[in-house]
Amino acid sequence: MIGKRITGIFALLAVTAMAGPGLAQDKVALIMSDIGSANPFWAAVSQGAIDKGAELGVDVAAVGPPGGETDVAGQIALIEDQIAKGVKGIAIAPADTAAVIPALEQARARGVAVLFVDKRADMPGTYIGTNNIPAATLGAQHICDNVPAGSDVAILQGIITSTTGQHRALGAREGLEGCGLNIVAEQPADWDTARAVSVTENILTANPNLMAVFASNDNMALGVVEAVRNARKLDEIFIVGFDGNPNAAEAILAGDLEASVAQRPYNMGQMGVEYVLKLAAGEAIPEEIDTGAVLVTPENAADFK
Amino acid sequence: MTVSEDMLQDEFETPAARRMRLVEKYGVFAVVILMIVVLSILEPDIFPTTQNLTNVLRQVAMNALLALGLYIVIMTAGIDLSVGSIMALATMLLAMADTGGLPWPLALFIGPLVGIACGAVNGLGLTVLRLPHPFIMTLGTLYSIRGITNLVSGGRPVSGVSPEVRFLGSGEIPLPFLGEFASFPVSALVVLVCYGGVAYFINKVSLGRHIVAVGGNPQAARVSGINVDRVLLIVYCLSGFFAGLAALLMAGRTGAGFPNAGIGAELDAIAAVIIGGASFFGGRGTVLGVFAGVLVMGLLRNGLNLMDVSAFWQQTMIGMIVVGAVYVDVLRRRAGAAS
Repeated sequence: MIGKRITGIFALLAVTAMAGPGLAQDKVALIMSDIGSANPFWAAVSQGAIDKGAELGVDVAAVGPPGGETDVAGQIALIEDQIAKGVKGIAIAPADTAAVIPALEQARARGVAVLFVDKRADMPGTYIGTNNIPAATLGAQHICDNVPAGSDVAILQGIITSTTGQHRALGAREGLEGCGLNIVAEQPADWDTARAVSVTENILTANPNLMAVFASNDNMALGVVEAVRNARKLDEIFIVGFDGNPNAAEAILAGDLEASVAQRPYNMGQMGVEYVLKLAAGEAIPEEIDTGAVLVTPENAADFK
Repeated sequence: MTVSEDMLQDEFETPAARRMRLVEKYGVFAVVILMIVVLSILEPDIFPTTQNLTNVLRQVAMNALLALGLYIVIMTAGIDLSVGSIMALATMLLAMADTGGLPWPLALFIGPLVGIACGAVNGLGLTVLRLPHPFIMTLGTLYSIRGITNLVSGGRPVSGVSPEVRFLGSGEIPLPFLGEFASFPVSALVVLVCYGGVAYFINKVSLGRHIVAVGGNPQAARVSGINVDRVLLIVYCLSGFFAGLAALLMAGRTGAGFPNAGIGAELDAIAAVIIGGASFFGGRGTVLGVFAGVLVMGLLRNGLNLMDVSAFWQQTMIGMIVVGAVYVDVLRRRAGAAS
């Protein structure tokens, strides 16, 4: 009896399904790799996308998998559901570089434009995100502007087998060499605060005239601060980090850290929507789009706390 | 529930108990139908389309298989927390074997075999090590098997699973009369066959009936000559088997093995079984109910996705439905006790 009733409902639905979709505003989706508002980075990306949508008169769904960053199946379901909703384009930060590919290929097969924001999957497509090379150069430039020409400086690298680590190290070196500073040490501290403390201690011992350190992320920059504080040189050495994390912002306000380089997540959201619409309209767009970086200094650090 | 038990209950139960029994038996189907109607009204252009309804089937396939395995375990008043991790290990090993050149007819068996092996470890921990509750053993394997998955993969996904191996998880049967892209997922057929098989097994095969007996009253089962340890070992192997089969579907759906597969999936599966009316105390619950429980969760997620409702609401609502479903069970017991 129940069985028959269910069959009846499905038959009814099959008939309703014949009715075509109604006319509405153009829709695009921003599919994040985490629940938007649970993480300040994604909250900013999502706000940028929604604001851009409002500006252009486009309906933007900014969504993320219910299980958070590891919920790959949830993200695949989101892709399918957004295709079913008839979106023109999907800007996505993939939760996995491989597993989302079939769903995104299906989207493209149905004429939905797909591009990547912040992270990319192992498939062709435009990438919108921070280019770490110019971003690190921006931080290096700030060192150039604040220490005398020819000074001894050091670079703390991240995990140097990762692209992010390589790009930040490269950008920093180009910037520091470009303005004539003397790079006395370039050493990896693997993104880690504790390791950065010991690496910095060694660099300080070997280079008593050290004037500045560029650390490829904020965790390491805070390690540099500790080592320099222990050596009682906090007032002499100029330290710049990368990421614009809240604890780094606090260290900047406290005067321990001089600056940090921050990504521009709001820009990512805006450009994601802008370019996915261009792509959907058949325009050619670049393979890589840099969303730029911004310096966090005592003047604006309060905004990053 | 057997026919004779049904007749017994009909003779002795009060009208209140009878009402509660009806709610318990058919309530979850009413919820499924209600959800379909409500979503069709809220999203008339999107929800009731062939594409979306088949999407729901694609999305619930993995949870349906995990829930089926957990249903058998919960029938014995047990629990298996390791199914999500088993699914991850099986997906990963399957993808590595397939991309490493193992012929596909053999690669197809990797998922289920890995699942059975992991299930056997759970079952032996319970029956040989005599750990006090399956919660402990399977909590342990939840961690260890996830760890092993990361160890063998180095935490990286493996893509490029062959089309033959992917067929069960990603194959589509075209339905050209329903629209250009309309098709029915092969994975849904796999799910239907498994549910039919388990329904037959539990109700008609003596081993299946022993499982129900062990769950209803292990002491009585032991006295009546059932080898309880053997039954439990088989139960956890079956749960592992379905997790391995879910892994095969997942590898098909994603074309890859990835280390984060199935994180938290055990909780979704347990929720589906409970929403479907199975009792946590064992011995009671139907395969059809579990399927309805899976659909409730799938429809809720799909509907909220279509309406772009925050993922936080999905979590909140699934939690409330779980509590509501178990409260119905409590009411039923109270009504039964009052008679």
